[in-house]
Amino acid sequence: MNLSPVLKVENLQTRFKSVQRGKFVHAVDDVSIELFPGEIVGLVGESGCGKSTLGRSIVGLEKATAGRVLLDGVDLSTLSGAALRKSRRALQYVFQDPYSSLNDRQTVGEAIDEALIIDGLRDPTARERRTKELLDQVGLVSVVKDRHTRELSGGQRQRVAIARSLAVNPRVLICDEPVSALDLSIRAQVMNLFLRLQKDLGVACLFIAHDLALVRQAASRTYVMYLGKIVEHGPSQELYDHPSHPYAQMLLASAPEVDPRIEKSRRGPLMIGEIPSPTNPPSGCRFRTRCPLAVDACAQALPPAISLSADHDASCLLAAELHRGSRSALAIQAA
Amino acid sequence: MRNEPLLSVSNLTVNLLTAKSAVRPVDGVSYSVRQGECLAIVGESGSGKTVMNFAPLGLMPTGVTTMLSGSVKLEGRELIGLPEAEIQKLRGKSVGFIFQDPMSALNPVRRIGRQIAEMAELHLNMTPKAAEARALELVKLVGISDPAARLRQYPHELSGGLRQRVVIAIALAGEPKLLIADEPTTALDVTVQAQILRLLKDVQKRLNMAMVLITHDMGVVAGAADNIVVMYAARAAERGPVDTVLVNPRHPYTRGLINAIPRREDPVGAEFRGLPGLPPALAAPFKGCAFTPRCDMAVPACSLARPPLEQVDGNVFVACPVVNHGKVAA
Repeated sequence: MNLSPVLKVENLQTRFKSVQRGKFVHAVDDVSIELFPGEIVGLVGESGCGKSTLGRSIVGLEKATAGRVLLDGVDLSTLSGAALRKSRRALQYVFQDPYSSLNDRQTVGEAIDEALIIDGLRDPTARERRTKELLDQVGLVSVVKDRHTRELSGGQRQRVAIARSLAVNPRVLICDEPVSALDLSIRAQVMNLFLRLQKDLGVACLFIAHDLALVRQAASRTYVMYLGKIVEHGPSQELYDHPSHPYAQMLLASAPEVDPRIEKSRRGPLMIGEIPSPTNPPSGCRFRTRCPLAVDACAQALPPAISLSADHDASCLLAAELHRGSRSALAIQAA
Repeated sequence: MRNEPLLSVSNLTVNLLTAKSAVRPVDGVSYSVRQGECLAIVGESGSGKTVMNFAPLGLMPTGVTTMLSGSVKLEGRELIGLPEAEIQKLRGKSVGFIFQDPMSALNPVRRIGRQIAEMAELHLNMTPKAAEARALELVKLVGISDPAARLRQYPHELSGGLRQRVVIAIALAGEPKLLIADEPTTALDVTVQAQILRLLKDVQKRLNMAMVLITHDMGVVAGAADNIVVMYAARAAERGPVDTVLVNPRHPYTRGLINAIPRREDPVGAEFRGLPGLPPALAAPFKGCAFTPRCDMAVPACSLARPPLEQVDGNVFVACPVVNHGKVAA
């Protein structure tokens, strides 16, 4: 891609003080990601891997301890006051639970109006016009404007939350599990809304989710995160077809199949154990404690990101072999 | 010919009355589970899948008047109309429960071992010492490593997956004949979800229990269940063996749900398949089929009368006249 990234995260680190004195929880550790204009990018991993903290650190809901967040090439940490607030507005966050992200006592119109006032739109008729336009964009009829948000269903509330974040013309949306609180039959409607927004408005979107199938279909590229680190990154189709980090291989293999004929024959491997504590991450490769392919060298140093093909890389000493398919984390486990 | 079903529910209707409103979350639903079988009940929130299983066992919030009609038989014994004291004896003894959120199902200030042993003391009249030994056995059974040390730990010291294993151990402590698992893997990661599902399936087979798996996730059904009931708006839309229903869904709602799951061969950036419209709000019963406004096969007759659940072939039952008799006859 020849375009310059709209959002660039460089070596971001976020750590929290642990309850154990003198120790830190390394929630996000030296993470670099890029988002290009009008692109949906997936970020997947188990709970506790730091994917939400990464999203929150990007928009400033958590304070990063090191690293930079660049919006259109401008380092946000160099800004302050009005300039920072203006830049921050270009980065919007869509929360998982539309029941807690909206004020129950506001009407839909008020909720959106508030965002427009903050953005500096003074003229009431212009605000009204814009509210109507926003509701239209997220697929809500304008009569809901006068209803209280508490009267709406989960899917409708999430649409209002999205309309609200679009009110300030953001460049980037950080969506943290935006459909996992919604019912199965309406998830597709909200996912299609994201696809349309990306096409129509050119908003870039970092899509944080644990539903791998959903991410594969929506995102052009996917980052896989494990215990505070990005372990693999690549174009979604390529990454899902040829996962090259043992963690990505096992994560993708653990998703259940709906077809019982496939599911019953799939006595596949299971990921052993659970994600270790980020207070005391393993030395070297962080996945080595659960990895069926781990060797002594894995404990020595953090494996570098190995480039496998255009825009596809994995941080594993064996990445090249795994990518070629001459070895697999799954084959070892099944044996 | 196999013996009588362990749990047999017929024409169950649940009415809930609060100070302000009256709703019917379950409207004439029938199903049964035999020993050693697993039945999945699938539906969206508000479809009645949880109320249907919890109300007959007296597990309803306070401040709500629950009115039950129809029949729920556990080992041939009618539960509807049974006094609360009798039902209390069944809970945890004949029927074990597994809840969605393991953290809120456990007592945060008591050790794991005690919480498991307590169940064995209460339901099997064991001495505290014998119960502790049973707790150790159960913790081993649910695949927890370093079992003796775990018994002395508190819930907050365990990860989500381990907590859910403890909840399963507690559910098994009273040697239940029926296990009701309400979204047992929803709060867990995919990786842990696979482990817990395999464990549930394994103990269910090993102890020859009947299991009811309540879930909204079609994905967990295929590997675990033998039969399935698909719920929509308080009623059963389709019922049958998993192998048939998931491979060849008949009811337009079941078809829509399965079709909505993203598939591997869908191209990146392709539109997501889904169902149009919204699921109906919990309210008074509908006159016709509640799925009519979202259905691509609906005919005018659909909104007039409630479609009966009719046998299609094999053991599949579908509540859709258009599927069962064609557009013209319906």
